[in-house]
Amino acid sequence: MENVLTIRNLTKRFGRLCAVNNLSLTVDRGQVFGMLGPNGSGKTTTLGMLMGVINPTAGEYLWLGEKPTHHIRKKIGAVLEHPIFYPYLTGRQNLELMAMIKQAPTSNIPRVLDLVELTGRENDKYRTYSLGMKQRLAIASAMLGDPVILILDEPTNGLDPMGIAEIRSLIQKIASDGKTIILASHLLDEVQKVCTHFAVLKKGNLIHSGPIDDVGKGAEVVEVSADVADLDRLLDTFTGLSALHRQNGYLQVTLKDGFKSKDLNRFLFEKGVVASHLVTKKKNLEQQFLEILNTHDESL
Amino acid sequence: MTLLHLLRIDLRKLTGYRTFWVVCGLYFLTLGLTSASGMEFLKWLARTFEDFGSKLNINRIPLYHFPDIWLNLIWCSGLLKIVLGVMVVISVTNEYSYRTIRQNIIDGLSRRQFLASKILTNALLSLLSLALITVIGLVTGLIYSPVITFDRIITDTEFLPLYFLEVFFFLSYAMMLGILINRAGLTIIVLLLSRVIEAVITSNIDDHVPWLIQYFPMQSIANMIPFPAPRYAFQEIRDWVDPLSVAIVAAWTFLFNWLSYVKLKRSDL
Ligand SMILES: Nc1ncnc2c1ncn2[C@@H]1O[C@H](COP(=O)(O)OP(=O)(O)OP(=O)(O)O)[C@@H](O)[C@H]1O
Ligand SMILES: [Mg+2]
Repeated sequence: MENVLTIRNLTKRFGRLCAVNNLSLTVDRGQVFGMLGPNGSGKTTTLGMLMGVINPTAGEYLWLGEKPTHHIRKKIGAVLEHPIFYPYLTGRQNLELMAMIKQAPTSNIPRVLDLVELTGRENDKYRTYSLGMKQRLAIASAMLGDPVILILDEPTNGLDPMGIAEIRSLIQKIASDGKTIILASHLLDEVQKVCTHFAVLKKGNLIHSGPIDDVGKGAEVVEVSADVADLDRLLDTFTGLSALHRQNGYLQVTLKDGFKSKDLNRFLFEKGVVASHLVTKKKNLEQQFLEILNTHDESL
Repeated sequence: MTLLHLLRIDLRKLTGYRTFWVVCGLYFLTLGLTSASGMEFLKWLARTFEDFGSKLNINRIPLYHFPDIWLNLIWCSGLLKIVLGVMVVISVTNEYSYRTIRQNIIDGLSRRQFLASKILTNALLSLLSLALITVIGLVTGLIYSPVITFDRIITDTEFLPLYFLEVFFFLSYAMMLGILINRAGLTIIVLLLSRVIEAVITSNIDDHVPWLIQYFPMQSIANMIPFPAPRYAFQEIRDWVDPLSVAIVAAWTFLFNWLSYVKLKRSDL
């Protein structure tokens, strides 16, 4: 598979603070790559280096196998952190200016405005836009130059639920065109829905990188309830049990490797208990994310 | 990307900005009005004097006669460059306060191209100032000069390119301050105080190394374009171009732009 982005030993220090530490990563064509990490873990700094606005202290990166130049940036649509525009220009004028910089045809402007549903407001000054409208204009601007790569840093920040859903389907649509997307976000639900791969940063260190599908693997969790008083004591005797928690009024049974929910069901039935509620829960990204962070608590 | 395209990018930013029109409008209006109406002002002065019974022979002060007119206009117009300088500071520091410089780079401008677009605007503003002064000089000179010969008209016009250099020098300086300081208010204060600060320094070293003074940036401008008024007090003024002073100003101009480049290249945006 073709490498769109290769990062080798990228490091950025701000004085004594090491914002990104010896980061190596690859992103392949067609991936939707999620960058996760707590606040201040170095996501924006990394993306800033990739977009040429922050000078790396050490290390290098390649876009499409080449040393980065400003030419390659024209083919990348990027919004870092929050929308940046000239407040005194209208949305449309801002896009026109950007089209001049990207050397993209201005005929794209109506299309991208339509895409983010800003048509009708494009002749208002950017200053007068609401937060969500600014965010939408930023996404429109990222799409302006028909980019082959899209970099979005918290793209749904400030959007209403409908907007978030729209951006999600937009990302999925863009990804289905074979474009590569790098997405930094704290909305793990969203990342899980749209991303194919993800990496986790913590204090500038890469602590995990892999496909999203892996998230569902590993131990299975089954949520049960039954009309018996000492269900938890009963479950303790189940050989497939690895952990037991109480959550949302249900018992959460984490199964040992090789055990399935039907084994638990059979066990209960043999004990003469009929479960009134028995749901297999796929482990979600959020749980895995917190686990990854916790297991690295000691090491960092 | 052609230079013209870079210039158009920066102009697109400015032409949508009301402050730009107000400041530049004020600048060119003041420049045009004051330089064109100096003679009318003198006439008015003479009439006022007459009312008080004294006589002022304005033909004894040939402010607007070829060839005097060139140095007179150029020297006086040079005072107004500060207004354009303030505009350049605003244009540069806005890019930092709005963080649009960051987005420009992200969008695919190189730092060198970003700087080039600003430098080109500086050159354009300097060129417009030069064009305005040239036209006003020609028109008013033709109106007021008692004797008009081709020789007289072109005498001292070698100071016109130096006027361009003077304005461009100052705008380069303003741009560099903006890039080094980033904040509009502070930059404008430093810009306005530059001449004073330099004067304090030069007056202190006057006794020790007087030959050094001519190398100071603001002083080099004063040396390049001599103050013309003393000639009306029957004194000699230098009405030829001093190559050393031109070289010094050109060197400073280069240095300002180069320092801007170095700073921009190194900074995280
Ligand atoms: N210009 C700067 N000067 C000094 N320190 C900086 C600068 N920019 C970022 N940092 C520091 O670098 C670290 C990483 O910041 P960064 O913005 O990359 O985090 P992030 O992962 O994007 O966080 P968030 O999720 O809050 O957006 C932080 O500790 C931050 O304080
Ligand atoms: Mg961030």
